[in-house]
Amino acid sequence: MRKRAGLLALALAALALSLPAAFTKNDVKVHTLANGLKVLLVEDHNIPSIALYTFFRVGSRNERPGLTGVSHFIEHMMFNGTAAIGPGEFDRRMEFRGGSNNAYTGDDFTAYTDWFPPAALEAMIVMEADRMQGLAFVPEVFESERGVIASERRLSVENDNDSILGENVRATAIMAHPYHWDVIGWMSDILSWRRDEVMAYYRTYYAPGNAVLVVAGDLDPVKTLDLIKKYYEPIKTSPPPPPVSTVEPPQLGPKSVLIGKEAQAPGFQVVWHAPSAKDPDFLPLAILARPLLEGESSRLYRRLVRDEQLALDIGGGARETIDPLLFSIYVKPRPGADLDRIDRVIEEELDKVRKDGITSREFEKAMNGVRSDFYRGLQTVAGRADQLGTYELLYGDFGKLFTVMDDYAAVKIERVREVAAKYLTGNNKTTGKLIPEGGAK
Amino acid sequence: MKKLIGTALVLALALLLVPPPARPAGTALPAPEKIVLKNGLTVFFLKNSDLPTVSLRLIVRGAGSAFDTAGTEGAAGLAAALMTKGTAKMDAEAIAEALDFMGASLFISTTDEYAQASGDSLAEHLPRLLEIVSDCLTTPAFKDDEFAKERALRIDGLKAAKDNPGQAVRLYFQKAYFGGHPLGRLDSGTEASLEQMTVQTVKDFYVKRYRPDRAIAAVVGAVDGPALTALLERTLGAWKNPAGAAPSDIIPPLPAPKGKSLLLVDKPDATQAYFALGAPGYAMGDKITPPAAVMNTLLGGRFTSWLNTELRIKRGLTYGASSTFRTWAAGGLFSAGSYTKNDKIGEMLDITLGLLDKAAAGAFTAEEVESSRNYIQGQFPRTLETNASKAGAYVRLAFYGLGFDYYDAYMAAIGKVTPAEVNKAAAALIPKDRYVLVVVGKAADIGPQLRKYGAWQEKKISAPGF
Repeated sequence: MRKRAGLLALALAALALSLPAAFTKNDVKVHTLANGLKVLLVEDHNIPSIALYTFFRVGSRNERPGLTGVSHFIEHMMFNGTAAIGPGEFDRRMEFRGGSNNAYTGDDFTAYTDWFPPAALEAMIVMEADRMQGLAFVPEVFESERGVIASERRLSVENDNDSILGENVRATAIMAHPYHWDVIGWMSDILSWRRDEVMAYYRTYYAPGNAVLVVAGDLDPVKTLDLIKKYYEPIKTSPPPPPVSTVEPPQLGPKSVLIGKEAQAPGFQVVWHAPSAKDPDFLPLAILARPLLEGESSRLYRRLVRDEQLALDIGGGARETIDPLLFSIYVKPRPGADLDRIDRVIEEELDKVRKDGITSREFEKAMNGVRSDFYRGLQTVAGRADQLGTYELLYGDFGKLFTVMDDYAAVKIERVREVAAKYLTGNNKTTGKLIPEGGAK
Repeated sequence: MKKLIGTALVLALALLLVPPPARPAGTALPAPEKIVLKNGLTVFFLKNSDLPTVSLRLIVRGAGSAFDTAGTEGAAGLAAALMTKGTAKMDAEAIAEALDFMGASLFISTTDEYAQASGDSLAEHLPRLLEIVSDCLTTPAFKDDEFAKERALRIDGLKAAKDNPGQAVRLYFQKAYFGGHPLGRLDSGTEASLEQMTVQTVKDFYVKRYRPDRAIAAVVGAVDGPALTALLERTLGAWKNPAGAAPSDIIPPLPAPKGKSLLLVDKPDATQAYFALGAPGYAMGDKITPPAAVMNTLLGGRFTSWLNTELRIKRGLTYGASSTFRTWAAGGLFSAGSYTKNDKIGEMLDITLGLLDKAAAGAFTAEEVESSRNYIQGQFPRTLETNASKAGAYVRLAFYGLGFDYYDAYMAAIGKVTPAEVNKAAAALIPKDRYVLVVVGKAADIGPQLRKYGAWQEKKISAPGF
């Protein structure tokens, strides 16, 4: 579905060991406008299509109680009219020209993703530049879209046991930092956002200096940049948004959360505080996640799904985020499974990595997985636009996409054991369980 | 302000000069090379060295879930799933380890009409991937313990599906619409069919239905033709055709509802109600495809469609509403669906049925039709951008006997669709009083809103089966 928050996606570290000759840093033309808008252009004539991705440095990380979920709400309102282009007109004009689009909101940033034939380029640039500053927030449309978000929350959280457990686990593990709440926000906030507050939030974060524009595909870079200058240069620069200053205090002992809910199957998740994407400990943890959690040959899949048949599936890992978030293990237990037994199996396997780390073959396997995932991300012009923007936003440097292989290759295998012992500890752990009540057994 | 921008837009478009570099006609999907192995297996091949990766798609006609019998529902799905869970040479752990080590993926699964193997790897690992694919397809072990594990997972998976009303409504709909017709067989099986299933049933399905004379494959990626041919001969080329004729792979004509058929599934803890409505569509490759696609794009196939505009954009009743045509060789299905708060389901159904009436009456305008044509043509190139999507297109087109220039002809036909043809297609395809409608939700809250539509059959979600 379109316009959905990146709530459920496991945006695991997908990085590179080497790059295709067909795509190098030299293929990216960079330009920064006087108002601060950074522009990345990639020319690629493989198919007659262009991907135009606009990234804003705003996500649920920038929110506060009372305004939780507002970043995602603005993502929706970006399709609902500006002073110049009426509600719904963005989509109608874009689709008339053969384009389609989506958008996603995460903890750290919001992205608007347009795909269209080359002839629609100028019209799309006109409309994207327009909605960077001119949103109207028409009161009736504001209320209708509030209903859409409430429906999305009911769909993706309240009617989804894994999500409702995930939201509770996150809120239990993180007490001070805004990562405490999910991108979708609390229902009471959704139902009470005030128009003036939402508009002020939009004006703070939707500004050229807080945005990155990536255009990739069947285009002429010189002409494209001219069009971008023509429509974006008149946009005035704004003061930089306030920094996010809250630092999550260290967790001092194990936490747990238990949910009783009508369900056929129980739920189980366990998380530990983890480092930010830029922290030197992040890559070793991302490497650890692969032999531990990824694929049917991973240690925990074998124990929990294959050998002991306690679970239908497992997953998790470390996510790349600006501030420290969580290392997660998600388990989909079989109906009637002993959740304490699942917890013990996980701890037994973690004991092994805390004590012995991973094998050199597992390390090599992790590198192959990283490389495969990386190429998968670059298969399409849209994928290339998304990767460039993501790196620019997370690391402040899209060029990191082209050097990260060196960072991975430089990780010493014993660092994997060190980070397992450092982060995956009892005092740093939060356990969540969903126990079925009623329903068929 | 509004006017100024509007003028700028018109000017901007007038200046929109420089068309994209001209492409030779007939390149929506490049024509592949055809490799015929000594055992008769046809493999379509396209070299693409942009990235060091390769994709393989292989389908086996007649090995899909529609070829399960009423009593063995789920055997096709189990056969496909168990093929990667042990062969003559490798056990399940060895297969998983070999694939994960390469960062490669291999899935064998079923659609209604065929089974499909999908393999993707780095180019350097293609030889090993092909060995594993070939092993899985030709010497699956179907061990008792793997069968027991997979069956247990599927039984639990069916229970979990009932916790998710969006998933549940699709399964209830498939049963309600197709009933005993082969397209009503659930790929997952049912709790009852899985309880009775034996590993012998799964083996029998495999032996009877997996054979190279029923398979079509495609490989797209960074590999040379001669090297690939040698690799294929050494792997899939060793797959032997069994003696005797292959069993039927024909699916009988699809059922058509004779009137309104209404089913309410009670899920007492649901805070939203989900609906699915279905009626006959058209078969894969039917001449009505271009106008029907243009029509459905407008009705429920994109964000500004009638359904999404009325239900989401204007009223905020839902996160999304859509309609689709599904096509098989034997026929097709039109369906529409969405979800909303329990107290709004009546309003949602009124609006939906009203829009279907409006569509059937032929209310699509020339401007809408132009927009839809542009939209389909503008979005199409992205659907064939990757190695995997090209390989998938080759095997599907070969399966349906449509030819590799099909998409060029289809895009050209889309460009010529007229409003009259769209309205004619709508009149022919959009249901008035003959449809199947399934609603999953809290019966106590939604039942009273539903009574006006007719007599509902009721089921409890906690009752076994769908």
